[in-house]
Amino acid sequence: MEVFLQTLVAGILKGGLYGLIGLGMSLIMGVMGIINLAHGQLMMVAMYITFVLSHYLGIDPYLSLFVSMPALFLLGVVIQKYTLNPLMEVDSILPENQVLMTVGIGMVLTEIARFIFTSDYKSVRTSYSDATFFLGEISFSIALVIAFFIAIGFTLFMFWFLLKTDIGRSIRATAQDKDAALLMGVNSKRITVITFGLGSALVAAAGTVLMPVYYLFPDIGGPFTRKAFVITILGGLGSTVGAIFGGLTLGLAEAFGATYIGMAYDDMIGLLIFILVLLFLPGGFKRLTKI
Amino acid sequence: MKKSKVLIGLILAVALIFSFGVSQSIAADTIKVGIVLPLTGKLAKFGEIENKSFLMALKEINAAGGVNGKKIELIIEDTTGKPDVGRSAIEKLISLDKVVMLGGGYSSSVTWATIAVAQQNKVPFLVNTGSADKITEQGWEYIFRLNPPVSEYPGAFASFLETIATDVKTVAILHENSLFGQSGSKKFVKRCEALGLEVLMKEGYEAGAIDFKPLLIKVKAKKADLVYMISYIMDASLLMRQSKELNLNPKLFVGGAAGFTLPEFKKNAAKASNFVYSATLWTPSVPYPGAQAYYDKFVEIYNEPTEYHGAEAYSAMYVIADALKRAKSLTRKDVRNALASTNLITAFGPVKFISYDKKTNQNKLPTFLVQWIDGNLETVWPKNVATKGYIYPIPKWSKR
Amino acid sequence: MKKFMPLILLIILIIFPLVYQNAYYQHLMILVFIWVAIGSGWNMIAGFTGQVSFGDAAFFGTGAYTAGLLAHHFGISAWWGMAFGGIMAMAVAFPFGWICFRLRGAYFALASLALNEVCRHIATIAEPLTQGMVGILIMPTFVSKIPYYYIALALAVVSVISVQFIMQTKWGYYFLSIREDQDAAESLGIDTHRYKMVSLNIAAFLTGMAGALFMNYMGFIDPEVVFSLHDISIMAILVGIVGGVGTIYGPAVGAFVMVAVHEFFRTGFFGFFKGLAVLTGSDFLNIAAKYISHAHVLGFGILVVLVILYLPNGIVGDWNKLVGKLVPFKKKEAAT
Repeated sequence: MEVFLQTLVAGILKGGLYGLIGLGMSLIMGVMGIINLAHGQLMMVAMYITFVLSHYLGIDPYLSLFVSMPALFLLGVVIQKYTLNPLMEVDSILPENQVLMTVGIGMVLTEIARFIFTSDYKSVRTSYSDATFFLGEISFSIALVIAFFIAIGFTLFMFWFLLKTDIGRSIRATAQDKDAALLMGVNSKRITVITFGLGSALVAAAGTVLMPVYYLFPDIGGPFTRKAFVITILGGLGSTVGAIFGGLTLGLAEAFGATYIGMAYDDMIGLLIFILVLLFLPGGFKRLTKI
Repeated sequence: MKKSKVLIGLILAVALIFSFGVSQSIAADTIKVGIVLPLTGKLAKFGEIENKSFLMALKEINAAGGVNGKKIELIIEDTTGKPDVGRSAIEKLISLDKVVMLGGGYSSSVTWATIAVAQQNKVPFLVNTGSADKITEQGWEYIFRLNPPVSEYPGAFASFLETIATDVKTVAILHENSLFGQSGSKKFVKRCEALGLEVLMKEGYEAGAIDFKPLLIKVKAKKADLVYMISYIMDASLLMRQSKELNLNPKLFVGGAAGFTLPEFKKNAAKASNFVYSATLWTPSVPYPGAQAYYDKFVEIYNEPTEYHGAEAYSAMYVIADALKRAKSLTRKDVRNALASTNLITAFGPVKFISYDKKTNQNKLPTFLVQWIDGNLETVWPKNVATKGYIYPIPKWSKR
Repeated sequence: MKKFMPLILLIILIIFPLVYQNAYYQHLMILVFIWVAIGSGWNMIAGFTGQVSFGDAAFFGTGAYTAGLLAHHFGISAWWGMAFGGIMAMAVAFPFGWICFRLRGAYFALASLALNEVCRHIATIAEPLTQGMVGILIMPTFVSKIPYYYIALALAVVSVISVQFIMQTKWGYYFLSIREDQDAAESLGIDTHRYKMVSLNIAAFLTGMAGALFMNYMGFIDPEVVFSLHDISIMAILVGIVGGVGTIYGPAVGAFVMVAVHEFFRTGFFGFFKGLAVLTGSDFLNIAAKYISHAHVLGFGILVVLVILYLPNGIVGDWNKLVGKLVPFKKKEAAT
């Protein structure tokens, strides 16, 4: 029983974080219909920002959210405006050129990080990094619990933002039907730029809250990009609630897979779920929840 | 027609650069030795330590007059930690730079892929880090290895289990899915069987996992006496921190070299690193002449700590110089014969290439057991070289 | 003149190893040829049929492992893998395509990426079969590079010619019509699912053969080498887009450029900068040389970004545009 409960807790806490990682990707995919294969790399950039602030200026990782998120918002805006948007006008054979572009951007970001910080492992150690509390026999990592609640908070905020604000409504309209939104007077280029910025800022938040419990090196982005698109497909494009459920599902599947099948299989389990969802539940959880 | 002109221009430009590269290598009167190391990519950290150690030893040797009046020139190629790139590098060294012998080879897989080329071209290759057993089990006469194979890493630990920790009956083995982890864990299972220990679980994981708790909770449920882990630094730190979070209390936490002896491990695992044991090949306190001196000098020059990989590289450079000095002529064959009759004491220990079991041209070295005690890495076994008494069993998390 | 260019080039390539007997450059050319085959395969499914695949390594690795495992478990020459590797790759491609071709565009790309990763995990975990990360080592058959050179050259030529041939048959037109507009193709009565399958299997076969040759030539594989997302699947895409998506000779040009760029950076332009630094005794150049040799992946990344932005159809596809930019006075000359 202890094994079961501890696995459940591990899965849920990790799932919350995954949800936050998937949320940004979900927005970008929903609005632009492109897969951002540089998503994990953007997270890596945010993690380096957190590391620098904490290591050189002694700023607490949670406070550095206020720096890493705006910084990544700007980076996202620049990427969208100067590399992805121009591609819309370029005449090319493959519509996937934007996806390939994000691959290139990911490589450039990784290598720039390697240039500056070398391949060394970096980490941020805080007093609460390995603090825990126990409920019965079950241990909870404090940093992961905080990360979980921050993730839930951002999801609720995004939910409200998309539903109630003007920009949010425009984003949803663009996601549903780009041409119709254009006719309704939505500046779709501006919306894509804002969306990419928002998506980047959200993944920055995920990276920053992960920093106290994890570590950092330039190649860290790749695996997280993969997790992000799995979550997005699970949850449904552009769906905030879907992203959280997608994240939780992936987190739980990985944790239970690791406990009852084998740790070596945890990545594979996620990918198999991904293919199954693509085939049998296209549209993801969004189809079931309708939000 | 214009297009072909552009094309011809491009070809000429390429040819120019190629020929520049060629003319570069026809340089002064030096003895050329090729070294392959991962200087970029994921393994760059250790590659860099080895690189610096090679250069440090090279400087010392050349300052002392080089080899029979000639200076040694190291041509260091980057393998980026990938076997196929490593192969490109070694091809270049053999056929373009025409080196007399080769050295380096950090990770087992890259080493494994490159030594076959060296053997086929009959170029002596002194491996100093690649630790997979089979590297010296092929009967290849041009391949030599300075470091012990991975199956012998826990040698000292096995004798510790036999004499001190006799109440350890059950074992859980966790390893990363890499060449080092997969082959090392298999060998360790065999060793446990020989010692009469019961292996409760043996599980691999993909390096870079965020959360090891599902794995550790299983170890906890099975109540293993000994947890043996083969991991690199960051996984090692996370494993220990999460063991502490889960209140996992075996009698022994033991690491199979690699990540567990590095200063970064202590830094990242913080308090959770205390009392963790690890097998190791070398520490500055080993009883070999020059070991401590090497460590001190490295720290003085580069202002950062070094570890056993560096000592391997540093000593390999001396073995190379020694072989070149004794070679009848500077042909690859004579250098190989000189290398085969090496008998040298280095900072990494005595070097002598012998054949035993299935292995040929293998240097046999004792290994050590170290333990983190209050932030210091102390050698605790074998007893005659111990710097501090061992602490066994390790105290429970709640009693620290 | 233009018509004979490929033929002239072929003759040069045939003579090259006989005239220039340097094993290192022969090695690089062998890599180029292997990449030509992989790139042609990718171009078949992605460039001509419009189904971008991020999972070429799955086919490449299957081919390589087929060759390696035949030699490892049964002691059969790994050269048999050249035949069976392609077939085994098709055996992976067939069920995958069958199931996943109902996905379109980016979703198919993601599914192929997942296939890539699943294959890598299986090869890592199935230790009794594949030896896991220990990998498979075989002793290469020949010491000399020349036999490999010609075999690889033959593979590259066969790939390019077979792609060219297929694209002239009616299959080729079906592929193109699927790329241009799948729904329109469907309404014209083309069984799109079936022809996508055909295209994918041809691609898998070529890629699998290349994988088997890689095993034979390199003598060593492990899951991270042959199932690598970055070093195989994404490289295949880069070879395709740099050379020219949907062009016959694009992959050949792309393969050459990518291998050359990789090696240029890795060796710091063949010691060019280092040599310059030694000659002038400048510390700055020495540091620059060090950074350049560390920057080969960065070089790739920037190359990709620039190519997509300015040459979206690759070097071959946008050849006229490229020449126009490099030779601004060309128009004037042509006029006179």
